[in-house]
Amino acid sequence: MLNVLMLGVGQCGNRILDSINKEAFGGNGASKLAKYYLRPKFPSRVETLAINTAVNDLKELRFTTAKDRLHVPNLHGVGANRNVGKRAFMDNRDMIMGEIEKRGNFDVAFVITSTSGGTGSSFSPLLINELKRQYRNITIITVAVLPFREEGSIYLQNAAFCMKELMEVEAEGILLVDNQYIKRFSGDIATAYDKINGMIAQRLLFLIESLDSEMLSVTDLGDFKTVMNGGLRIGTMGFYQADSKNLSIRDAIENSFKPANLLYPANVADDAARAMVIIQGSREHLDVDEITKEIERISASAGHVFKGIVVKKGRPKVLSVFTMASAPELESIYAQAARGMQDEKEKRSRARKQLDDAFAHIEDLEEIY
Amino acid sequence: MHRGDVFRMRHSFVLSSLVCLLIIILLIQAACCKESDDDDDDEATFKDFNLNVGDRIDLGDYQMELIEIQSVRDGLVVMRISKVGGSLDEQRALLLDSANNFDGGAEKKGVTITVADIFDEQSAKVRVEYLPGIGTARKRTSARPAAVPDKPELSVQKIFDKSQMNVGDEAKVTIIVKNTGTGQAQSINAQDIPPLPEFTYLVGYPPKIKETLDPGESDSAAYIVNAVKEGSIQVPSIVVTYTDGKKNSKSNSSEPFNVIIGPKSRADLVISVADTSPIALDEEGLLNISIFNQGTASATRIEVTGEVSPPDGLRATDLDKSFFEILPGDGANYSAKLSGQKAGGYTIHLKASYDGGDGYVIREGTAQVAVLEREYKYQYLLLIIPVAIIVGWIYRRYREYKY
Repeated sequence: MLNVLMLGVGQCGNRILDSINKEAFGGNGASKLAKYYLRPKFPSRVETLAINTAVNDLKELRFTTAKDRLHVPNLHGVGANRNVGKRAFMDNRDMIMGEIEKRGNFDVAFVITSTSGGTGSSFSPLLINELKRQYRNITIITVAVLPFREEGSIYLQNAAFCMKELMEVEAEGILLVDNQYIKRFSGDIATAYDKINGMIAQRLLFLIESLDSEMLSVTDLGDFKTVMNGGLRIGTMGFYQADSKNLSIRDAIENSFKPANLLYPANVADDAARAMVIIQGSREHLDVDEITKEIERISASAGHVFKGIVVKKGRPKVLSVFTMASAPELESIYAQAARGMQDEKEKRSRARKQLDDAFAHIEDLEEIY
Repeated sequence: MHRGDVFRMRHSFVLSSLVCLLIIILLIQAACCKESDDDDDDEATFKDFNLNVGDRIDLGDYQMELIEIQSVRDGLVVMRISKVGGSLDEQRALLLDSANNFDGGAEKKGVTITVADIFDEQSAKVRVEYLPGIGTARKRTSARPAAVPDKPELSVQKIFDKSQMNVGDEAKVTIIVKNTGTGQAQSINAQDIPPLPEFTYLVGYPPKIKETLDPGESDSAAYIVNAVKEGSIQVPSIVVTYTDGKKNSKSNSSEPFNVIIGPKSRADLVISVADTSPIALDEEGLLNISIFNQGTASATRIEVTGEVSPPDGLRATDLDKSFFEILPGDGANYSAKLSGQKAGGYTIHLKASYDGGDGYVIREGTAQVAVLEREYKYQYLLLIIPVAIIVGWIYRRYREYKY
């Protein structure tokens, strides 16, 4: 059995972690009161911990136990200032790592964070380093959420620097989630967030369950690490559940790679470096020939594709994980971030000059009373 | 002449006149007395004497002795009149209020004797008329003791042994006759009539008293009556008639009195059952039964029987009981064992038959007994504990998730 640590850092990470806990109670089908009469069912031994400097964000959580909410005292958050966040982490590093240590040893850790916020984007790189130092053989996967582009230059700036730092740490890989890309699924922002969080939670738990299951065709944590080490070590996930009208496993696999079902805008045929396909469903739906043909088709463009098949009663479900050899959208974000930073810098210079000109009027004068 | 001398002269004259008038009156009165004494010598005088038998009146040469009262009823008194010298010695029965002349009577220098009254068998009032010249009549009391009179006196008593009774009760009536007189009572006849309709006369009626009773002797007779009709009755007096030695008839009677006869005495049993507390299933209890006689007669041969309704589910033992007698105002208690075998309500019917003095009577009583389901003292915990567990669980989960 895998020992899994799931860390939700910052407001975004906390909410995704809360969705994972909710998913453990039965997902969207679970009652709001399910936590009072049910125990969360994780496929493996999963320990969750929500870390935040803003206590109000921790209070908003509904399906995460109090002991799994760690408040890092720093007044009321870090105000999207990554420097402040880094200092807060360093000041409370022992306390944070002590809380994690209490939860035992882990085979894999998922650090879920927003790249644009204050706490998550500043804590996560440092946290991953500490985890790697404390747990030598742990596999760390970062689930990084990219911001809405219109959220402002600071968030883009944070995302840019956070991603850069995340790439530099020793984590096994990054699974990208792009809010900008997914928000098309829902109308209002609150519903969009809930839906995005639910999608991420569903995929992660499906992944954990599959890695820890007895498969017909075996994929394990090592395969997953190999996939995540491919290309830029930046990847994303796709998921598809066949409907009753079309139970074809081949179509299900194909659909799981379609942009509509991915968490980040990528083209498997053009961008994928390595991939993993995990198929789950009733035995009658799992036609090996069709699966093989479809995997071979993907392999032709995406390189090596690991496949895992889990026989479980129900309609076919397919989780696709792949790493990218190129990430054009990231380049776009960085360009946008750079422009924003430049604009910010210019605005600040202009304002400074205006202020200096204003002050010049009273340069030779003294106060008269 | 002085005016004072004239006044003294007038005064002396008046006093002299008054003295003279007084002397004249005295002289006239003395003359009148002398004239009366002269009349006494010519007219008879009389004198009354109360004489007992044996007493004598001496008058000059005459001696008059009361010999006996021959008959009070007939007014005959025997007297003996004699004269010193033996010229007169006569014993004669004198009739009441009749003048009897001896030696020609008082008009002719003899004596006239009249019995004015007869007091009793021993004494009488005698008037002696005579001329004053004969002498003065004097009473000579007899020195010999008076003869014991032959005078029976019967006292009569009629006694009921109870002044209040009930219909059906028996009473003893006692007649006591005692001769308190000095002579023998003869031909005694007690008449206790008429028989009263409120009673039946059982034994000894009519009462029989001895025909003769000597002085101081008494006799009694008793009879038994049974009251048959209620009411307040005046018991009439009994009349006893008798004669003395001289065949004089006499009678006496007892004092009438009242007797109250109440309604007939009956026994009245009341069956009561003490409050029975519910009996738990498969447990035992006691049924305390009291039988009280609130009547006025004893209840005898009492048989108490009991039945349980419905018959199944409650077992009662020692419910039947017998008693020989329960006195009025008295009671009897006993207990029956109850054993609950099936939950529910049960009625125990008790029936007591007894002889109440007027035939057999039946009295009934009932008691309600409840047999409860087995009590589970902490049954409510079956609800409370799960609720508490659920609440505790929810609270624990709430605290677990409360941040």
